[in-house]
Amino acid sequence: MEFKLEAHRIVSISLGKIYSARGQRGGLKLHKNLLVSLVLRSARQVYLSEPGCPPEPACGPPEEEPPPPGTAAWPAGEETTIPPPPQDEAARGGPRVPGAECQGPRPRRCCCGCSCCCAAAAGGEENRPDCATATGVAATLPPPHCPRKRSAGERVQAGSPVKKPRREVEEEPPPPPPDEQEDMETGNVASLISIFGSSFSGLLSKEPKGRRRPPLDGGESVAATSAEAAAEPGQICCDEPVLRTLNPWSTAIVAF
Amino acid sequence: MELHRRCESNPKPSGETGGSSLFPKRPGIARAAAMQASPQCPTNLPQPSSEEVTSGADIISTVEFNHTGELLATGDKGGRVVIFQREPESKNEPYNQGEYNVYSTFQSHEPEFDYLKSLEIEEKINKIKWLPQQNAAHSLLSTNDKTIKLWKITERDKRPEGYNLKDEEGKLKDLSTVTSLQVPVLKPMDLMVEVTPRRIFANGHTYHVNSISVNSDCETYMSADDLRINLWHLAITDRSFNIVDIKPANMEDLTEVITASEFHPHHCNLFVYSSSKGSLRLCDMRASALCDKHSKLYEEPEDPSNRSFFSEIISSVSDVKFSHSGRYMLTRDYLTVKVWDLNMETKPVETYQVHDYLRSKLCSLYENDCIFDKFECAWNGSDSVIMTGAYNNFFRMFDRNTKRDVTLEASRESSKPRAVLKPRRVCVGGKRRKDDISVDSLDFTKKILHTAWHPTENIIAIAATNNLYIFQDKVNSEMH
Repeated sequence: MEFKLEAHRIVSISLGKIYSARGQRGGLKLHKNLLVSLVLRSARQVYLSEPGCPPEPACGPPEEEPPPPGTAAWPAGEETTIPPPPQDEAARGGPRVPGAECQGPRPRRCCCGCSCCCAAAAGGEENRPDCATATGVAATLPPPHCPRKRSAGERVQAGSPVKKPRREVEEEPPPPPPDEQEDMETGNVASLISIFGSSFSGLLSKEPKGRRRPPLDGGESVAATSAEAAAEPGQICCDEPVLRTLNPWSTAIVAF
Repeated sequence: MELHRRCESNPKPSGETGGSSLFPKRPGIARAAAMQASPQCPTNLPQPSSEEVTSGADIISTVEFNHTGELLATGDKGGRVVIFQREPESKNEPYNQGEYNVYSTFQSHEPEFDYLKSLEIEEKINKIKWLPQQNAAHSLLSTNDKTIKLWKITERDKRPEGYNLKDEEGKLKDLSTVTSLQVPVLKPMDLMVEVTPRRIFANGHTYHVNSISVNSDCETYMSADDLRINLWHLAITDRSFNIVDIKPANMEDLTEVITASEFHPHHCNLFVYSSSKGSLRLCDMRASALCDKHSKLYEEPEDPSNRSFFSEIISSVSDVKFSHSGRYMLTRDYLTVKVWDLNMETKPVETYQVHDYLRSKLCSLYENDCIFDKFECAWNGSDSVIMTGAYNNFFRMFDRNTKRDVTLEASRESSKPRAVLKPRRVCVGGKRRKDDISVDSLDFTKKILHTAWHPTENIIAIAATNNLYIFQDKVNSEMH
């Protein structure tokens, strides 16, 4: 159990680092963020693999992030606190969803063990300095659904470390622990997926029993970013129940 | 080896020895691109007081001796470079084996703004490397996160007087007043050191440049950032060759970055680069244009008993240095320094614990970010002793032959000019001797990240935050 506590603590600290890295002078340090994401992942693995993990309570909505705009599958009005995204994927290219978008809180609910989420957020999307929310970290997540983001700048040629940590974490999803962890894992993973979208294709394959969702494509391939599109085949959408099972990592996020 | 403090950066005119060891602050000089400064620093520089707070811009970020050891360059966070010159030994004072005094100061880099990414580019000097001297002028390369600059340092001690068409102030004379011709004569003047930027190597790097290294061919040099290494020709600024590229096609797959790199001291085709995973890769530029495939990979398997959340972080190599002989490489990771034999890839031939007592405190060090500190390491001229910095202004030296090591402290309180440094000890529980420091009372804000060793003599330069300490072996100045 103490490992779990320590792991949780480490994850919280890591999230804080990622969050504070957003505003630092000189841009994100790729090396440091890579290391932080590695720690985040290790801690998350430990946390998730420890027995006795409490079941994920339904996380309150306040930080519920808005479903990705343009994600057709998202039922409108699902989010109580955030305006529903436009169903129109075409809208992506153009005007952003007022409020709900990038600028607002993208409080990515770092459900799943945060490690991933946060790591992603890690990059600290430099181009979104305004996304500062309670869950700060999340806010920095370059939403796959943020077409504007995805294009040009984001993929960072400039090597926006932003991507890196997120990818880093995503690329090695831990094997879902068997049985009792499954629900939490599922919920976490699904939530994570909603945040990171397509990159989770790998994770999806490990998902047990049909929590799978067909990758949402279309909108994602905000064609503009060919590279992006290639890298992130599709958007996964989470449905309502999953959202509600956002996990206790929220406490960590809320702290920031 | 006994060390005593010899001299420190000191803005006072020469003639004073010892004195404060503070790295001079010079806000007045700060912003000129090409500085002219006499070796005797102007006296109007503000003198640091003992209560001064460390100003961020004064934090020393790199220290480097030139190839003869006559000059010592330091770079700081504010983008300034200060060069010290060793005074020639005086016969009158046999003990005065050449102090280092400020020779020149100039602003190398300014903060810039990348409009495309809305990011500020720090002016902090990450590395300075001297070029081998080929004529009367000295040259060095200095780099910040993005741009490398070649600076030429020249001395001027004569000036022509007696122009026909110009008067003393340089204004053109009224031609009607010129009645005879004279030949201008060179008259001696106060020594003036001029520093001019000769080349600017820009736009070569997307990521942050962490190291530069001049090739032994004296024509090329390389610069490394997190994911790529470029080869430049010293005379060509508009292009460079990419020789290493570890950026994955999909950034999601990124697992390691380049942390340091260096050319082999004798073989102009060989270079090494270290990674955040703790491995070293020796590459041969003759093998292919893009040296992504290493010729040799030096990696030590991780000790499973030491596994922790932070294993990856502490195995990241922060510095790599070839020995002067070219036979060995020295690497520094968070807790150890290791000597590698170029001929053996499986494990280092020597491993020295720098501060193993920190192993149980990694979580706290992660919290306060200290675990990300990048310490440098150095060889002495004969490759028999290696040195690296630690916390609490301690630095460590390891004698490879006798296997003895010593911990010394760089601080004003504990060292007066010409005082012999006293070895320190960190106690980790158990019996505690007088003057021991306990692990918990170590000051982690006082870290010695940058150190340099004179190429031939036992003189070391230690950068402690914004102070520069220069220590010299008391016994003799010859290498032993």
